[in-house]
Amino acid sequence: MNSVNFNINFGYLEGLCRGFKGGILKQTDYINLVQCEILEDLKLHLQSTDYGSFLANEPSPLSVSVIDDKLKEKLVIEFQHMRIHSVEPLSTFLDFITYGYMIDNIILLITGTLHQRDIRELIPKCHPLGSFEQMEAIHIANTPAELYNAVLVDTPLAPYFMDCISEQDLDEMNIEIIRNTLYKAYLEDFYKFCSTIGGSTTEVMCEALAFEADRRAFIITINSFGTELTKDDRAKLYPRCGKLHPDGLAKLAQADEYEQVKVVADYYGEYKPLFDGAGTGPGEKTLEDRFFEKEVKIMMSAFMQQFHFGVFYAYLKLKEQECRNIIWISECVAQKHKAKIDSYIPIF
Amino acid sequence: MALTIMKARLKGAQKGHSLLKKKSDALTLRFRQILKKIVDTKVLMGDIMKDAAFSLAEAKFTSGDFSHTVLQNVNKAQIKVRSKKDNVAGVQLPVFESYRDGSDSYELTGLARGGQQIYRLKENYFKAVELLVELASLQTSFITLDEVIKITNRRVNAIEHVIIPRIERTLQYITTELDEREREEFFRLKKIQEKKKKIKAETEALIARRKIELAAQGVRTQEHASNILDDNEDEDLLFD
Repeated sequence: MNSVNFNINFGYLEGLCRGFKGGILKQTDYINLVQCEILEDLKLHLQSTDYGSFLANEPSPLSVSVIDDKLKEKLVIEFQHMRIHSVEPLSTFLDFITYGYMIDNIILLITGTLHQRDIRELIPKCHPLGSFEQMEAIHIANTPAELYNAVLVDTPLAPYFMDCISEQDLDEMNIEIIRNTLYKAYLEDFYKFCSTIGGSTTEVMCEALAFEADRRAFIITINSFGTELTKDDRAKLYPRCGKLHPDGLAKLAQADEYEQVKVVADYYGEYKPLFDGAGTGPGEKTLEDRFFEKEVKIMMSAFMQQFHFGVFYAYLKLKEQECRNIIWISECVAQKHKAKIDSYIPIF
Repeated sequence: MALTIMKARLKGAQKGHSLLKKKSDALTLRFRQILKKIVDTKVLMGDIMKDAAFSLAEAKFTSGDFSHTVLQNVNKAQIKVRSKKDNVAGVQLPVFESYRDGSDSYELTGLARGGQQIYRLKENYFKAVELLVELASLQTSFITLDEVIKITNRRVNAIEHVIIPRIERTLQYITTELDEREREEFFRLKKIQEKKKKIKAETEALIARRKIELAAQGVRTQEHASNILDDNEDEDLLFD
């Protein structure tokens, strides 16, 4: 796994990925989009970009949800093409990326089954990147514990359930806590996997995953103020693969309000500037926006190195951010509420 | 006697008319107030819905598509509506009041991403729903009041233009009848008096004639016929 042999197995896909990256919308495209008055103009502008005529067959009037679906569809097609053509260890790496979506899908299916919804209604609502073979079989279970024993134990996510959640917990715990516990186990597992690959992949991916872990820790802490989540439960949700582990996480677990979180962030050079000047006022960027910006920056720097798998992860994240930007601009245009239309996160 | 009854009825009708008119005025006043509030609330509603829809877009931007999670987790309502009755000038108006029931089951949604936006979104939509409930109760009272005002006005007009004139006409008729009867009575009395006078005159003439005849025959006439019961002196009684 070094630069000399990389291109034998993965050169085609890396080239493809960089090609896709080149098609990501630039600042000029965004300026054009922001000036649209109606959604049809948006469609026209998108036609001149890499998206081409992906909206060509949609009946008018266009709605934002249609644009959302089509954007996601295009992303899924590109990703699955790369996945199908990959070999080990890239294929495992790409699988790891999909586990995140799988977690969301499983949570959705569990919730639906708990409330006796028809499984056929839930399947189309799942994220296509996170589908797995046992999805159809979920309706045979009536409780989460049954669900685990019958179905989930065969999925690649089974070890995450085993590490952290016992059978009674599945029934009692709030669904969001299950989701976050699973995601924590997934992040730590992914981090371990990337460390074993070695080379530039480890450098790039570990930095990206550490940022993701720390970001989750901060956001979970801030969002759990004033809710019924206890400090111990909260501490169990922090992924341990970031820079905050172990001291920062311990301090975060004790925090009671936003100011204390800010104090913790001040210890770490990368996160201090994010918290400065972030606020919920009308003219300021929120903390989440700043985290998005930092993520975009890290992903962009992933493309600076060559011969590593980080480009695929970075490409997916950047494309997702672009989808969110386009949807945001479409919503502002459709609702004629252009006050905050510039709050998208610029990528290039 | 019928006259007194009719007079009482007229008085009752007039009192009823004035009472109903007062009720109609009070209801119309309340109606106008409600109309004004409805217009204000509807304008406010437009703004709030716009804000709420925009905050939904913001939340979706930060935390991705959480709509399916929310939809699947629905089991019971967090805002419920109670209805009370409000009495306005005798009219029962329904009033809806919203209250929060149970805790927030979506407290932890967006725990890892976008929690603050989702919180703001929830607040905006709570406000929108409360405003909707208020608008609903205003509109139901508007419709109910409208019906009642129409009915009351119909009654007021009916009393004013139908009942009271009818009673007055009846009264007039009664008085004319009574006057006529009085006149008839008077006329009858007069006629009887005349007749009596004539009969008296004739009898006197007859008596005078008989007297002359009898005097011509040499019969003593007496002015009076003797009455046993009247006269105390009786010739046959020796000792008195």
